[in-house]
Amino acid sequence: MPSTQALKGRIRSVKSTKQITKAMQLVAASKMRRAQEATKASAPYTAAARELLANLSRHTSVKGHPLFTQRAVKNRLLVVIASDKGLAGAFNSNLTRLYANELIADDKSGVKNTTITVGRKAAHFVARIKDTDVRGSYQDLPDHPDGSELYAILDTARDLFTSGEVDAVDIIYTEYISSVVQRATVQRVLPAGDGVLESDASPTPQDATYEPSAEEVLDGVAYRLVSAQLYQALLDSRASEYSMRMMAMKNATDNATDLIDDLTLEMNKARQSAITQELAEISGGVEAMHE
Amino acid sequence: MHLQLITLSGVSVDKDIYELMAPTAAGDIAVFPGHEPLVTLAAPGALAVRANKGDKDEALDYFAISGGVIEIKPDSIRVLVDEADQGDDIVEAESKAALERALKLRDEAKDQVELEKAHQLIDRHTVRLRVAELTRRRRR
Repeated sequence: MPSTQALKGRIRSVKSTKQITKAMQLVAASKMRRAQEATKASAPYTAAARELLANLSRHTSVKGHPLFTQRAVKNRLLVVIASDKGLAGAFNSNLTRLYANELIADDKSGVKNTTITVGRKAAHFVARIKDTDVRGSYQDLPDHPDGSELYAILDTARDLFTSGEVDAVDIIYTEYISSVVQRATVQRVLPAGDGVLESDASPTPQDATYEPSAEEVLDGVAYRLVSAQLYQALLDSRASEYSMRMMAMKNATDNATDLIDDLTLEMNKARQSAITQELAEISGGVEAMHE
Repeated sequence: MHLQLITLSGVSVDKDIYELMAPTAAGDIAVFPGHEPLVTLAAPGALAVRANKGDKDEALDYFAISGGVIEIKPDSIRVLVDEADQGDDIVEAESKAALERALKLRDEAKDQVELEKAHQLIDRHTVRLRVAELTRRRRR
């Protein structure tokens, strides 16, 4: 049995670890709440944007628009959104697994791909892979991405798409469903309106009027609506990251508590047996003196 | 007629209304129930909402909106803009100060990017100020 001293040391170290994980849990919880609000607030906008894009994409005059052009996919761009920091449970591994699966699928079907990474963890993962062409990597994005980063990513994506270098743009991110359920997903953003379920589109009469003209409406909104989707993906990823980090840290704290309980029990046992032994020795000594 | 005013920071209006006056790329339009289906570009400006038939002009609700898109169906309207501020929430003095700052920014702009940014700010605050004024006048 280990000595009382050694056990005391271990308890102390587990306790300080627990303090750290507890603090990280609280930080993640408060950040999660804010991120959750942000992603919930912009969700109706994104949903409406998606519906509108779906409606627009079925409009006949759309076909010629550069952001709506459907081509056979020979080369696609993947925007991988991971986190900058680890210790968030399976957040990054779920995401990179999905990304790796997409790469394998592309390999099989002979599709080339290009990658833009968001977050240090995604950059590290991609650096170890040879068969994708990395176009950009963004790190330390704020919780509320403002225009600059968003448009930097989007402009690259749009230029690659309109120049014909890639035929589709997909975002790989973690969809925030609730604080306990998050799912790594692939979403197609370009060509616009693609990958949108038929059910997303409301039965708008096809003969709706466009003012000043369908082309001008498209020019004015397509880019904006596509950007809303990327914005939402960034917010969702953040909210998911914080939720998963909070859960991971909560588990770590709970485990530390269990460990401390076990160790304390063991230490008490060790102390008690030391006392018992000492008493036995003393009474043994007394017995010996009597004789 | 149901109106939804959706912005990046949430749904700011979701209710039944009688009339909507909106600035669009092709000029101001007024929409009443039974309007033909229309999709149009919203221009930055003041959006006015009449809640009930017979409401006086004094009872209009004003919103300062940025650019976006307006989707009209006979029984519903959906306005999708980046941001919308209700007239009551805009503090006029603040907007005025912000506008002055933006004007100064424009005069001191060194390159095209800064100038562009300043112009955007000026447009935004001019609209906000106008909406605040409209709302104030209404209350009198």
